[in-house]
Amino acid sequence: MIEQLASIVSGFSLFWEYKAVMLPGLWYNFLVFFLVVVFGVILGLIFSTIRLNTNIAIRAIAAFYIGLFRNAPEYITLVWFLYVPALVLSKLLESNVTFEPLVVAVMALSLSAGAFYAEIFRAGILSVPKGQIEAARATGMSRTLTLRRIILPQAMRQMLPEFFNECVSVFKGTTLVSLVMVPDLVYGVNLVSSYTGQALPLYTGIALIYFFIVFTMTSIAEKLSNPWRDKTR
Amino acid sequence: MTSFLETAWGRAMWNARDHLLDGLTITLQVTALGFIGAVLIGLALCLITMYIKPLYWPARFLVNFFRATPIICQLMWVNYVWPPLFGWPTSLFQAGCVALALQSAGYLAETFRAGIEGINRGHIEAGRSLGMPAHLVMRRIILPQAFHMMAPAIMNQFMVVIRSSTLVSIIGVADLMHWGHHLSAEWFEPIGIMSTIAVFYIVVIGTLSSLFKWYSERLRNRYV
Amino acid sequence: MVTSTNTSDRNVVVKVVDLHKTFGTLEVLRGISLDVHEGDVLTLLGASGSGKTTLLRCINHLEQPTSGETFIDGRPLGFQIHASGRRTNASQTSINALRMEIGMVFQQFNLWPHMTAFENIIEAPLRVKKLPRSEVESFATELLKRVELLDKKDEYPARLSGGQQQRVAIARALAMQPRVMLFDEPTSSLDPELIGEVLGVMRSLAKEGTTMIVVTHEIGFAREVSDRVVLLHNGMIEEDGPPEEVIDNPKSSRSKQFFSSILH
Ligand SMILES: Nc1ncnc2c1ncn2[C@@H]1O[C@H](COP(=O)(O)OP(=O)(O)OP(=O)(O)O)[C@@H](O)[C@H]1O
Ligand SMILES: [Mg+2]
Repeated sequence: MIEQLASIVSGFSLFWEYKAVMLPGLWYNFLVFFLVVVFGVILGLIFSTIRLNTNIAIRAIAAFYIGLFRNAPEYITLVWFLYVPALVLSKLLESNVTFEPLVVAVMALSLSAGAFYAEIFRAGILSVPKGQIEAARATGMSRTLTLRRIILPQAMRQMLPEFFNECVSVFKGTTLVSLVMVPDLVYGVNLVSSYTGQALPLYTGIALIYFFIVFTMTSIAEKLSNPWRDKTR
Repeated sequence: MTSFLETAWGRAMWNARDHLLDGLTITLQVTALGFIGAVLIGLALCLITMYIKPLYWPARFLVNFFRATPIICQLMWVNYVWPPLFGWPTSLFQAGCVALALQSAGYLAETFRAGIEGINRGHIEAGRSLGMPAHLVMRRIILPQAFHMMAPAIMNQFMVVIRSSTLVSIIGVADLMHWGHHLSAEWFEPIGIMSTIAVFYIVVIGTLSSLFKWYSERLRNRYV
Repeated sequence: MVTSTNTSDRNVVVKVVDLHKTFGTLEVLRGISLDVHEGDVLTLLGASGSGKTTLLRCINHLEQPTSGETFIDGRPLGFQIHASGRRTNASQTSINALRMEIGMVFQQFNLWPHMTAFENIIEAPLRVKKLPRSEVESFATELLKRVELLDKKDEYPARLSGGQQQRVAIARALAMQPRVMLFDEPTSSLDPELIGEVLGVMRSLAKEGTTMIVVTHEIGFAREVSDRVVLLHNGMIEEDGPPEEVIDNPKSSRSKQFFSSILH
């Protein structure tokens, strides 16, 4: 076992040796992360607004989307998007439609994340007591002013920790893109591992790398949401 | 039923029903074992961080490590690194369960700690002032309340385990997702087959999460 | 109310001898000695921080005194004296056994939120005293009737008002049929309109001859129901006597100051 531990440590140099594969891989993780957060937040804002609409039919659309993607495991969403949309379009257009793996990955993960963001935003807005909104409206504040000055500041406070948590989950989820052939770090490590046969150091190393990144992100997220958290108490 | 069998994908799934059922069984087993493992490991880590001073930092590190590594890394790590290092796990199935357990153990350890620390001291003192011995205070006052407080988080973690269980197929465990994927490729019918599998998961997970939500609500209503 | 004219021919239920308690370097109790006789209602007064809560908590050993002794019905609480004269700490079991004889009512009620009012009351008699369920339940029903909350029997504490919660808490303590009841500012966290209902229950307990030690800021109530008022100052007994003496004619200037500050 000592021997193997030594081989793991010496094997970490493989990361340096194959940095041409590894570094772009990590870059892909961050790229996907960035895109998914942006699209996810947009979807989340749209659907949380729709979900809070007074019209039942409109609300049901949002509820359906949120229920669908919050309950579907990400891996299934990914695989479904990998095959189905391209095939359906090919049949409809009677030509060979294909999507870039990166497009598939970002699409699937964004739709997933969007559903989670939508729920977080909705819960945040609902956390503001109705009486406060009425009080604001009673003083003659307009709808948008009420939203901007009364609802959002409090809703933010409520949802910021959840929001950051979801962002961290999104980053962890970006490692799934390797499964639909996006060459991220996991994908790179799989390649190098099958090429060199050195699974031990490679998989330990990558676990540590992701641990380091995610742990740092979590700590930053906590720092960022703490000053907001305590104001009302 | 007949129209289902008239489609190519319907026939493919019907003919492979034994495989699909086997896959479902594996999915259920992996989920159950992964979750039970997570509860046990999480409880151990929580008690260690709370009560065994010298092991505080190692246990904290493990909690953070399990929480912060993506599940797919953990699957690969347990599957490729553990056997040569520790001689265990000896099967893909075991590796899948262990990885799922570790992933959730980190979260549950935090949940348990918050639950136990969140009990109002006054409730404990009220018990002691009535002459309750420590074990009775633990069993009748601390644990039930802690459980009620933690139930939503625990149930949420169970959902995480089900959702993550689909990933054990990437290290070669023949779960439901594996067979769905396999049949889609074999018959080149992903539209029907993957959609069916997806709907199945969505319905099961959706139903469970509604049940859990209803139960949490019911518990919460007692306290407010 | 005084039921027997001479205190010395009634049993001493709580005996406190030279009790000291320090937290770190802070000396909170500095030699308290008290005898509480059966049927006595003793009110503890004193400024904030004078050690009233600490004294109550030491009496039932929720707080371990630094030195000094407590006896409940003559039985030592928290320590044993061996035949050789050696003194050792008592086992937790024997502390628990004596705690059953002391009911405590807290300022914050401390009802267990996961149990209904009724379940809160029957819990300890059932599981600590191990009395038969039917007996416990009928007594609990009787107690709930007495605090006028029978209709709230199956409510969880969160659904009860503060005054109702405190009355359930009193019933919970009474369910163990204690020899003495300790009240630590039972009405201090209640809205003014709810104070009366709790004081009403306490008044009727006092009339029935329950032995009580009460910490309160309700001077009127203290004057009306107590047989004896003890004024604490900085962890020592400053005054000790019947209410008309201590409250209306305090001896020391410090006590005069205390009463003028809370009466106006
Ligand atoms: N657990 C503790 N640790 C340290 N100091 C304590 C502790 N409990 C009480 N004290 C201190 O002991 C002193 C007496 O406290 P105690 O609660 O007995 O006062 P009190 O007379 O009940 O006051 P109040 O009327 O405000 O309830 C205070 O200065 C308090 O800060
Ligand atoms: Mg006090």
